[in-house]
Amino acid sequence: MIQFAQVSKRYPNGQDALRNVDLEIASGEMAFLTGHSGAGKSTMLKLICLMERATSGQVIINGKNLNKVKRRKIPAVRRDIGMIFQDHRLLFDRSVFDNVALPLMIAGYDHREIGRRVRAALDKVGLLSKEKNTPIMLSGGEQQRVGIARAVVNKPPLLLADEPTGNLDPELSAEIMKLFEQFNQVGVSLLIASHDLSLLAKMHYRTLVMKEGRLVQDQTDQMFEDEALKVDTMSETSDHE
Amino acid sequence: MNSDSNSGASLNQGASVKNKLKMLLRLHKLEAKRGINEILDNPFSNFMTVLVIAIALALPAGLQILLDNGKSLSQSWDGASRISLYLKLDLEATQIEQVTSQVRQNLAIESVELIMPAQALNDFAERSGFADAISELDSNPLPATLIVQPKSTHSSPQASEILLAEFKQLEGVEKVQLDLDWVRKLYALLQLAEKAASALGLALGLAVLLIVGNTIRLSVQNRREEIEVVKLVGATDAFIRRPFLYTGFWYGFFAGTLCWIILEASLIWLQQPVANLAGLYQSEYSVNGLNLSQSAKLLLFSCGLGLLGSWLSVGRHIRQIEPR
Ligand SMILES: Nc1ncnc2c1ncn2[C@@H]1O[C@H](COP(=O)(O)OP(=O)(O)O)[C@@H](O)[C@H]1O
Ligand SMILES: [Mg+2]
Repeated sequence: MIQFAQVSKRYPNGQDALRNVDLEIASGEMAFLTGHSGAGKSTMLKLICLMERATSGQVIINGKNLNKVKRRKIPAVRRDIGMIFQDHRLLFDRSVFDNVALPLMIAGYDHREIGRRVRAALDKVGLLSKEKNTPIMLSGGEQQRVGIARAVVNKPPLLLADEPTGNLDPELSAEIMKLFEQFNQVGVSLLIASHDLSLLAKMHYRTLVMKEGRLVQDQTDQMFEDEALKVDTMSETSDHE
Repeated sequence: MNSDSNSGASLNQGASVKNKLKMLLRLHKLEAKRGINEILDNPFSNFMTVLVIAIALALPAGLQILLDNGKSLSQSWDGASRISLYLKLDLEATQIEQVTSQVRQNLAIESVELIMPAQALNDFAERSGFADAISELDSNPLPATLIVQPKSTHSSPQASEILLAEFKQLEGVEKVQLDLDWVRKLYALLQLAEKAASALGLALGLAVLLIVGNTIRLSVQNRREEIEVVKLVGATDAFIRRPFLYTGFWYGFFAGTLCWIILEASLIWLQQPVANLAGLYQSEYSVNGLNLSQSAKLLLFSCGLGLLGSWLSVGRHIRQIEPR
């Protein structure tokens, strides 16, 4: 589903955000991406949904080499990826329903089909009763669930989430994670960036640890060295290289 | 996810073509409405924009209306192309008759009036108040005069010129003069003014494009965040462009309507003074406003300008916004 081959990303200001990253995530897999702030987690996700382009190397999503995707074709790539953000990125001048309906409107679905799918997605995240509200009337956790409903309403094969629980308390975070597990159970691939170690420790999924733009650990299955990770993620960056 | 997605991992094919078309229609309706709301949501500043566009349209359109009126006026003026033929002083009455009948035979002529020297002198004495002095004269210094009215089909400046040359050739004619030569000059002036009006129209049309383009640019920038989000969930530029194009269209529509109202109101306001003026010339001339097809053209043109202005602006500015 996701393939990185020797991917590097240098931002125009000279900042190296990714350095020679190799990675493969299979279809139907759920994986976490962790590491200190500035390690390159968001950059990784941005390369996948073409918000940024790799400076070198290949990013292949669903068999499609993103280097070869022209500007005009970017929307088509994004329609197959559901994205979830820490700040939700909802439209506050529209109802919850309209927010969730957006990807379907863009894809040109018939309005009855839109109604059906939007309600199914809202039902899934437990917000069916709030479809007429605007996002402003909702709590942070509810807003995040609207964002999730919008990401899955189009049934994309891949979900990306960047710090989806960043602003939520542990209980709400656990709820969100449970939702992700449910999507994964019906075959959706997920890549979730998070620096919330306590949350990851409970989850037992594949965990990719990044440090200064490199992939330093790929913990398939089971517990990773708690102490080692703590040192990795807490220690400030700087010095060498 | 739902049970009907067998794996959840299949690529999205979107909807069928027929459904897509239906959805597109609905979208257009929705976005036309949203485009109007965009304008109605901010009535004051948008009214100013519409007013500016309307005035920019009304200036050349109003000028064009006045020119059209001036043209039809100068063409319809009966006296405009009257030609006076002054005959030689020493002609006998029979010779005068001969010239008159020669002129009368010209097919381009509507009517000929003969004023004999004696009558001319009488008229002059009456009008000038020099009756006493004139009665002292032992011979009449005035020639016989033919007042020729060409047919309306031969009253254009060029046709008059030809007639003038023909009459000059006639034996017994001393001098030929086109009355109200100023009409010809007016006509030429009108043609010049028409060119100026076209140039003004072009310049103001360009200004309208800039105004609409700039307004749309601001509205794109105001909705930057929304555009980023919509791009993130896979919207094409065309999808994002649409509501802005509608907004531009509505600017044109409202401005065109307002322009029409401004023009009609000005014409009504001009009606009375023009009637008074025409009364002085024993004419029943009244100003012609916009007829139905001209009104439709005005509205169409203005909608087109609005659409074009936003189209020129929106693509460029949407392209510059990329989600972060
Ligand atoms: N748009 C950008 N321009 C320049 N540097 C950036 C940009 N985005 C991120 N960076 C830098 O790239 C590095 C990785 O950032 P990011 O991927 O956001 O890390 P993370 O999400 O793991 O915190 C950081 O040093 C950050 O400062
Ligand atoms: Mg980040």
